[in-house]
Amino acid sequence: MVRNAVRAISFALSGVCLLSAGRALAQDNYEIQVYPSETMTPKTLLVELHSNFTVEGSTTTQFGMLATQHQEHETVEFTYGLSDWAEVGFYVFTAEKSGMGVQWVGDHIRPRVRVPPRWRWPVGVSLSTEFGYARAAFANPTWSWQIMPIVDQTIGRWYWSVNGTMVWDVHVVPAPADSTAQEKQFYYTNIAPKGVTFGPAATVTYAPSKFFNFGVEYYSYYGQWGNFVSLHYQQHQVFPVVNLFVSPKWEINFGAGWGATASTDHLIVKCIIGRYFDFSHHHAGSSESTQ
Amino acid sequence: MAQAGAAMAGAAFGAFSPLRGQTAADVKLEIAPLDLEIAPRKIIHTVAYNGRVPGPLIRWPEGKPITIDVVNRTEIPEIVHAHGLWIPSEVDGAAEEGSPMIAPGAQFRYTFTPRPAGFRWYHTHAFAGRNLKRGTYSGQFGCFYIEAKSDAGAYDQEIFLTLHDWNAYMGASGDSSMEAAYEYGTVDGRMLGFGDPIKVREGQRVLLHLLNASASLIHWLGLAGHEMTVMAMDGNPVPTAGKMRAVRLAPAERIDALVTMNQPGVWILGETREALRKAGMGIVVEYENQQGKPRWIEPPETFWDYQPFAMAQAPSREPDQIIPLRFESKFHGQGAFDSWTINGKSYPDTDAIPLREGQRYRLQMINRSTDDHPLHLHRHTFEVTKLKGAPVSGLRKDVVVVPANETVEVDFTADKPGATLFHCHNQTHMDFGFMTLFRYA
Repeated sequence: MVRNAVRAISFALSGVCLLSAGRALAQDNYEIQVYPSETMTPKTLLVELHSNFTVEGSTTTQFGMLATQHQEHETVEFTYGLSDWAEVGFYVFTAEKSGMGVQWVGDHIRPRVRVPPRWRWPVGVSLSTEFGYARAAFANPTWSWQIMPIVDQTIGRWYWSVNGTMVWDVHVVPAPADSTAQEKQFYYTNIAPKGVTFGPAATVTYAPSKFFNFGVEYYSYYGQWGNFVSLHYQQHQVFPVVNLFVSPKWEINFGAGWGATASTDHLIVKCIIGRYFDFSHHHAGSSESTQ
Repeated sequence: MAQAGAAMAGAAFGAFSPLRGQTAADVKLEIAPLDLEIAPRKIIHTVAYNGRVPGPLIRWPEGKPITIDVVNRTEIPEIVHAHGLWIPSEVDGAAEEGSPMIAPGAQFRYTFTPRPAGFRWYHTHAFAGRNLKRGTYSGQFGCFYIEAKSDAGAYDQEIFLTLHDWNAYMGASGDSSMEAAYEYGTVDGRMLGFGDPIKVREGQRVLLHLLNASASLIHWLGLAGHEMTVMAMDGNPVPTAGKMRAVRLAPAERIDALVTMNQPGVWILGETREALRKAGMGIVVEYENQQGKPRWIEPPETFWDYQPFAMAQAPSREPDQIIPLRFESKFHGQGAFDSWTINGKSYPDTDAIPLREGQRYRLQMINRSTDDHPLHLHRHTFEVTKLKGAPVSGLRKDVVVVPANETVEVDFTADKPGATLFHCHNQTHMDFGFMTLFRYA
């Protein structure tokens, strides 16, 4: 599963900006994952710890947002299966940096439904929606609502998934009060556009064994839907990844991502460790267990 | 004798005639496509025997020769396997043993002497592969009851019930591999609530003959508010009859369970797991003069163990030879079925295992996979001799579940010369290599 629950939000600087930093940067890499269409098994809870470390990112505070370089993001994600076609997820985002301590960033809730497998569509399809808050020091917008159609398919050892992430910025941080009209226009066009923004993610993996697969993940931010920002302010990031399935109760994901544009953090290392908890209160193989 | 969903097979069937020079057969089976209505407006396009699911009940005295004419009115070769019977390889109904496939439009006569007595069954033994409508995914199955000469019949009513799953598709399993999943389940070809209820009277002793004819799913059955006394497994009396609130049946397993009807009402006899019961796996049991909505009462969570039904001691005779059989899977991707090996080889690239007539063999079945497998030995009955490392005896079966990462041992005497097939009764596992042959020297 790869999830890009909090869409990448760029904070760009340019010659027209009053701030001093020289490039755009991403700020919100809290949960870097591409979703599959499959939902959680009913009455099963998956607890995931997303650990992301920005090796090379922004080095200055911009538009009130802290520098990302050497920031450690820890996100705890809870996903619970409601039925064979529905789940709900909940996130607790935190950030850590030397001298800053552990900071609570925000929370999101994420219901998701899928086309039941018994419909036997040639591809898996699900629809995720996510709503939540993140502190302005760590994210912009603060309140956001996301809708994400997900399409995936497994063909033999190959697997691909595409997440069409669309985010409605419910509440963006206003442009600095002392900004000029030109700067405000730039800010609301490139930094915190109003309306719906688009940031698709995708993955392709190959499974040499049932215990692991490897592949690439891609994350992006194109800006406002129908009015994409210029390439300079877009975000494109590619992660070579390895997914380990060491036991039916555990899943592990490793990856390192390289940003391809000036607005993207240039190097992020990520690790996801997930543990499944069966709350059906049944033992595998019993008269009540479907496992 | 009252029966739900089962019929005698000897009834006239005009679709075909004996071949020239042959007398009329005792049983006639026509294999043909069928649109099976498992519930109103829920039609399953399948292949079945004599236009019904399950096929006709074949009830026959032990030791009396029987002729069964089978005509194949489908477009692919078919074959009918007599499961659990001690009969020659040529008529056992497995092409791997030498029984002939029946070509489209052709007719074949099976002649043999049914034995041993007990609850057996018949079903297609054709390859399905990736086509999840063929083989045992289809409606080609029926009960075959061989009557013992000395059966006192300590029951008031006898009911044959067959479990089957329909509309299979490839679904994900718990270990990244693909397994068949199903859209619907039925008892005797009908979803829960849409078949004729089983009619009983208070105080009756009802003998249930339960067959899991699913291509791959293990099922649990419970009768709400009642206990079931397990009398026989795979048609063979168990050494120790035991009361259960729910019974487990792996594919191809049979259980004879005696139920005393002492809770008047309208009840559900169904899958203990809600999702499978909602998919249709169940049937209504209706007491005389009782009405109302069928009730389901969750039985306590039950674990299945063969041990309580066996004797807790080693068999009296030691085997002449131990044959280790190691089961493993080969992963072909999360979007493909695994292939399976026995001792590192997939059928048909296996070496036949030689048997010497009269010798007693112990099959040491070592399951190194993460799936439970129902292993079936053709043409013989085996005795379960070791479970979870503990010696047992007296439990005679022809299918036994070898749990994931466990070892089960069974003994059998090689006294029925001829090629003998041994395989997992999960259709997909069998089709993807989980088979081997025993050959008599």
